[in-house]
Amino acid sequence: MADSSKHTDRPEQDVAGERTTRRKILEKAGVGTLLVVYGGAATKTAAAGVPKYRGKELKETLRIVQWSHFVPAYDKWFDNVYTKRWGQANDTEVLVDHINVSDIPARAAAEVAAQSGHDLFFFLSPPAAYEDQVIDHKEIVQAVTRKRGKMGQLAFRSTYNPRTKKYFAFSDNYVPDPANYRADLWGEIGIKPTTWDNVLKAAPKLKAMNNPVGIGMSNELDSNMALMALMMCFGGFIQNDKNRVVLNSKGTREALKFAKALYEQGMSNEIFAWTPASNNQAMVAGRLSLAMNAISITRTAELVNPDLAAKIQLLPIPAGPNGRLGLEHVMGCYVIWKFAKNKRLAKKFLADLETKYIGAFENSKFYNFPSWPNSVSNITRRLERDPVAKPAAKYKVLGEIAAKYTKNVGYPGTSNAGIDEMFNKFLIPQMFAEVAQGKRTPDDAARTYDGQIREIFQKWRDLGKI
Amino acid sequence: MPLRRRDKLITYLVVGPFAIVLAFPFYWMLQTSLKSELDLYNTENNPFGWGEGSPTLDNYRFLFSDTQYVHWLLNTVLVGLVVVAITLAVALPAGYALARLSGRWGQSMGVGLFLVYLVPPTLLFLPLSRVVAELGLQDRLASLILVYPGFTIPFATWLLMGFFKSIPRELEDAALVDGASRLRTLVWIVFPISLPGILTVIIFTFSLCVNEFVYAIAFITHSDSKVVSTGIYTELIRGDVFYWGALMAATLIPSIPLALLYNTFLDRFIAGFTGGAFR
Repeated sequence: MADSSKHTDRPEQDVAGERTTRRKILEKAGVGTLLVVYGGAATKTAAAGVPKYRGKELKETLRIVQWSHFVPAYDKWFDNVYTKRWGQANDTEVLVDHINVSDIPARAAAEVAAQSGHDLFFFLSPPAAYEDQVIDHKEIVQAVTRKRGKMGQLAFRSTYNPRTKKYFAFSDNYVPDPANYRADLWGEIGIKPTTWDNVLKAAPKLKAMNNPVGIGMSNELDSNMALMALMMCFGGFIQNDKNRVVLNSKGTREALKFAKALYEQGMSNEIFAWTPASNNQAMVAGRLSLAMNAISITRTAELVNPDLAAKIQLLPIPAGPNGRLGLEHVMGCYVIWKFAKNKRLAKKFLADLETKYIGAFENSKFYNFPSWPNSVSNITRRLERDPVAKPAAKYKVLGEIAAKYTKNVGYPGTSNAGIDEMFNKFLIPQMFAEVAQGKRTPDDAARTYDGQIREIFQKWRDLGKI
Repeated sequence: MPLRRRDKLITYLVVGPFAIVLAFPFYWMLQTSLKSELDLYNTENNPFGWGEGSPTLDNYRFLFSDTQYVHWLLNTVLVGLVVVAITLAVALPAGYALARLSGRWGQSMGVGLFLVYLVPPTLLFLPLSRVVAELGLQDRLASLILVYPGFTIPFATWLLMGFFKSIPRELEDAALVDGASRLRTLVWIVFPISLPGILTVIIFTFSLCVNEFVYAIAFITHSDSKVVSTGIYTELIRGDVFYWGALMAATLIPSIPLALLYNTFLDRFIAGFTGGAFR
C-alpha cells in the first residue's frame, strides 16, 4: 500500500515544482484573496481617520448579545439605527451580537463559567436561576417608572423575586400569544375556536380535511407555552400564589385527558417532534388549521403567501372550564451580569430603550409589546392601522390578549428559579407527551411530574431563592 | 471483453445506488436554493419540479447582499488554514516519534492520544470558556485557532503514527548510514513518502474546522468574527422562521470546494487512511 503511493506521489511532486499548475494558481489566488480582503479591512479602518481614543472613535464600549429577531428589520433598526444614535449621544460604541434562540442557555452558561462576556445579555424567558450572577436591576426599574408610570404586572411577576426582594432581570418587552387559526377551514365546518370544547369538536373534521390542529408536545418553547396555558384553562397550575407546587390536581388531570383526546382525534404524531419553527412552517404551508403561536406565523405568511395570510386569523386563547388564561409567548429579559464591565452604561441603555419603546414596537411589527404599558401610546390605534393586515384591524385583538389574557410563567405565583429550571427541562411537554402516547395515565403523570418539580423547587428553596 | 463488460455492469450496479444516495443531498440543496419561498411552502407543488417564482437567484442575492456570508467564509478559510499548519507542525514530529522512537510505549500512547479526540466538545466548552476568557480571546478567531488543535492534533498524530509505521525502516537506515541527520532523513525521505498521509491530515483537519460548531457558537458571537457553521445558523434561522432557500445556498457553497478537494485527492486520501491499517 505504502509502496504504491510512494511511486505515484514522487514524480508528480517533482513536476509540480517545475511548472505552473492549476493547483498552484488556485493556491496563489486563495492567498491573494485573503490578503486583499483582510488588507482591505485594514485600509478601511485607516481611511476612517485618526481615532479619538485608542483604536476607536467613541469613548466607551457597550456589548449586547441577543437573539436574531424573527423580523430582520428589527435587528437592522436596533443594530444600525437605534444603538448608533444612542451611542453617539452617550459617546459609546454599542456592539450588538446575535445568537440563535436555542443557543441562549449554552451561551449564558459559557459566559457565567468564564465570568466574562457581554454587558447586556438577553433571555427569552425569566432567567431566575441566574439570580446570584446578576446585579439587582431595581435602579433601572425605578428610572423607567419615574418617567412611564407603573411597570406591567406581567413584567413585575416575571422579574422580581419576592423572597430575596431582588429584580433578577429587566424586562423590556413581552410577546402576546394568540391562537392562529384558518378562518376559511373553520368556517367550512361552522365552528370558531373560542373554547377548547369547540376545538375538540372541530378537530376530527379538520383532521379528515387533512388540516389537523398543531399543538406541540415536544422539548421546545412553543410546546411549553401552549401546554402550560392549556393547563391553566382547565384549572391546572404548576404552583400556587405562594410558590408552592400544586401540579398534581384535578385541573391538571383534566387538561391531560383533554390533550390526549385532542391528539387522538385531531392531531398527527408530528407534534412529538415539534420545533419552534414547526407551527410556522406547517401553517404557512397550509397544513395546519390551528396553532398557538406569536404573530410570526401571519407575518411570515404576509411575505411568503399573502393570500394565505388573509385566511389566518387571530383569537385569544380558547376558553376552558377554568376560563381563558393565557401566557406570554416570549418574555424578553435583559440581565446585567455582576462581572459586566460597563454596568453604568448598561443600566442607562435599558432605561432609555424602555422609556421610548415606540421604535422597538413598530420595527418588530407589533411582536414586542412594552413591559411598561405607557411606554407606547395609543397601542390599540396603532394595531388597528397596520398597513398590511387583511382584514384591516386583524392585529387589534393583540391589545385585548395583552391586557386580559397574558399571564407570567408560573402564574398565579411568580416566575422563580424553580419555574425557570422546570421550564428549561421541558417537564410539562414531556408529561403531556407521555399521556398522549399512552405511556402514563393522567393520574400517574400528574403525580410523577409533581414529584419531580417538587424536588427542583426544594433545591432552590434550600438555596434561599424561593 | 464480455467479461469486462459484465464486471463493469456489476460495478455500476453496486456503486450507482450509493452514488445517488450520496449525491442526493447536494442536488436537494441546489434545487431548494433556487426555489422561491412561495414555491417551497406550497405542499401541492412537486418537490422535484419548479413552482411559482422558481427558479430564482433571490436566495443567493439575499445571502451575499443582506448577510456577512463572504466574511464568514473567509474567516472559516483563515481558521482552517492556520489550524492545519499548527496541526502539521505538531502532529508530524509527534506521529513520527511515537511510531519510531518511543518503543513499546508508543502504541499505548497513540491509543491514549486518540481517546483524547473522543472527548466531546459539549463537555469541554465550559472549562475552555474560562481559558479563552482569561486569555482575552472571546469573540476573536484566535480562540478557535487555540482550541481546534485540541481535537485535530490527537487524530492527526494517531493517523500519521500508523502511516509512518508502514514506511520500511530500511529506507531511513540507508539515509542515516549515508550520513544524513535524523531531521534531514525526515524532511527528505520520510515526509515525501508520507504525502498521502499528510494530505489526508490536511483535508481532514480542514473539514473538521469547517464542520465544528460547539466551540464556534460558544466563543464567538460577534457577526464579524463568525465562521460559516455558526454564521448561517444564527443569521438565517431567526426565532421560529427559517430562511430555507438561503440556508441551502449557504451550505451548498462551501460543500462544493470541499467535495472537489476530496475528489481530487481521493486516491491519496484512501492511501492515507489505510496506510497503517495492516501494521
